[in-house]
Amino acid sequence: MQTLKHIGIIALNTFRESIRDKILYNIVLLAIGLALFSIVLGEWSVFDRAYVIKSTTLTVMNLSCLLISIFVGISLVQKEIQRRTVLTLLSKPISRASFVIGKYFGLLAVVAVHLVLLTGVYYVILFLTKAEPTLYLLTAIYLIFCEMAIVIAVALLFSSFSSTVLSALFTMGVYLAGHLSDELLEQVRFANRMGEMGDASSAILEKIAVALHAVFPGLYRFNISSYVVHGLALPDLYLLWNSLYALGYVCVFLGVASWWFSRRDFL
Amino acid sequence: MGDFMIQIEHLHKTYRSGFLMKPKLALKDVSFNVESGQVYGFIGPNGAGKSTTIKVLTGLLNFDSGKVLVNGISPRDVKSRRFIGYSPEQPYFYDYLTGRELLKFYGRLVGLDGELLNSRIQWALELLHADKDWIDRRLRSYSKGMMQRVGIAQAVLAKPKLLILDEPMSGLDPMGRRDVREAIQELNRDGVTIFYSSHLLSDVESISHRVAMIVDGKIVREGSIDEITESCGVEYHVRTRTAILQNDLPEGVAPTGHPQEWVCADDAARDRLLTFCLSNGIAVEKMEHKRPSLEDILTEEIARADA
Repeated sequence: MQTLKHIGIIALNTFRESIRDKILYNIVLLAIGLALFSIVLGEWSVFDRAYVIKSTTLTVMNLSCLLISIFVGISLVQKEIQRRTVLTLLSKPISRASFVIGKYFGLLAVVAVHLVLLTGVYYVILFLTKAEPTLYLLTAIYLIFCEMAIVIAVALLFSSFSSTVLSALFTMGVYLAGHLSDELLEQVRFANRMGEMGDASSAILEKIAVALHAVFPGLYRFNISSYVVHGLALPDLYLLWNSLYALGYVCVFLGVASWWFSRRDFL
Repeated sequence: MGDFMIQIEHLHKTYRSGFLMKPKLALKDVSFNVESGQVYGFIGPNGAGKSTTIKVLTGLLNFDSGKVLVNGISPRDVKSRRFIGYSPEQPYFYDYLTGRELLKFYGRLVGLDGELLNSRIQWALELLHADKDWIDRRLRSYSKGMMQRVGIAQAVLAKPKLLILDEPMSGLDPMGRRDVREAIQELNRDGVTIFYSSHLLSDVESISHRVAMIVDGKIVREGSIDEITESCGVEYHVRTRTAILQNDLPEGVAPTGHPQEWVCADDAARDRLLTFCLSNGIAVEKMEHKRPSLEDILTEEIARADA
């Protein structure tokens, strides 16, 4: 009970700290600007206007959440260490795991608020442009939230042992690998089937692709914009399984981050 | 002998730095105990290992080997920090909060809430003479002295059994130093054990029951102020009404810069000089019992370590 209270207090403080960050406001304003720009893109595009507005705005939501996770999230832990506020905080009867998890939920709350704000903007745009605003679109936004839950955990994991710049690069790397690992595996298997590579090299490449696919979180699973934009049905229990998938990765990443953080010296 | 609030035995701590993780031994076989209810001063030059020892006690640093107990619990165990209040050297806080908001934040973390939290904050602010208008201003506008007071106030909020202060008087003006000294003494009267490091040796001498001196990662002296200073020898300064020829001076007595003032190296030399004065009809105007200050001893120990 006491641990939950500590996590709550740290999360609230993290949230308060993050919403004072100028970078956050820049990202939010940029995201809103780009979402509004999707109206113009819809007019210019040769594709269906509603399709362009819907898919562009979902992409903007995803990328802006990624930027918040990286630029606000990673600096959160590093700032505590560099400004030495961590010394007073961790001298209290708080476990280091509570600190890491509190930071995590604080930032997750920031991303959630950002998504709610953008969702509001999104629906206003859809209403104004008469681009069929359906509640089904919320499914895609929910999965963006799940994806960011993993990305924030990854960012915290890296920031628990490396510098701000390296943490940002590593997190970006995991994001890209998480989105491309499925595609890579498909391409390698396709090339093998077509016999485009030698036996030895194809076996090695396939093993590498399988390993990458297994190790990195499959973030591609959370991108369902083509389904929702076209109104296609998702497989049964898709949301449930992917929610559990995200929860599993979050638990693993936060567990490792907490373990690593608890071994750290604070000078 | 009372029970121990802090027990440190054969503590070793190595820092590793650089790409090759070059080791540097920061604490070498450090051992000392702090009894409950004491004010314990921890002194030494910069980089001697004071802050490292304090951070080991507060669980902020891991250590290589040895035994460290705080109120009978290892600092690696979060429970040990239930008894501790800690203020770091040059404390830094979330500067977007006001002093009062910061105290509320830390108060909640140690389990205080509602009216109890407000009354504790008020008590801590009054103790540190910080119950002023500035406490409701944002911390980014605070001077070093204000920050130091808020730092100590957050440390005492939970009424800890052990208060650990790293350089609590640095950055304070004379009034601030007096306030902190008085706060330490008041808390100690209420039964709080105080363990603190300081460069201001006159303050250490005036309020500490015991002192440990650390130089280059090793404890070089430990004991009460009297034990430490007397172990380094005592001098007597004697002033006579008339001068004494230098050749007539008894053994162990030497002239000082003043023509009628003499320094006796020990009790026996003092007695020989007094007998000489009595037998020659020389009046003694003044005799002072002088012992080295902590500063003299620390300077000597630093010179010895450098050599």
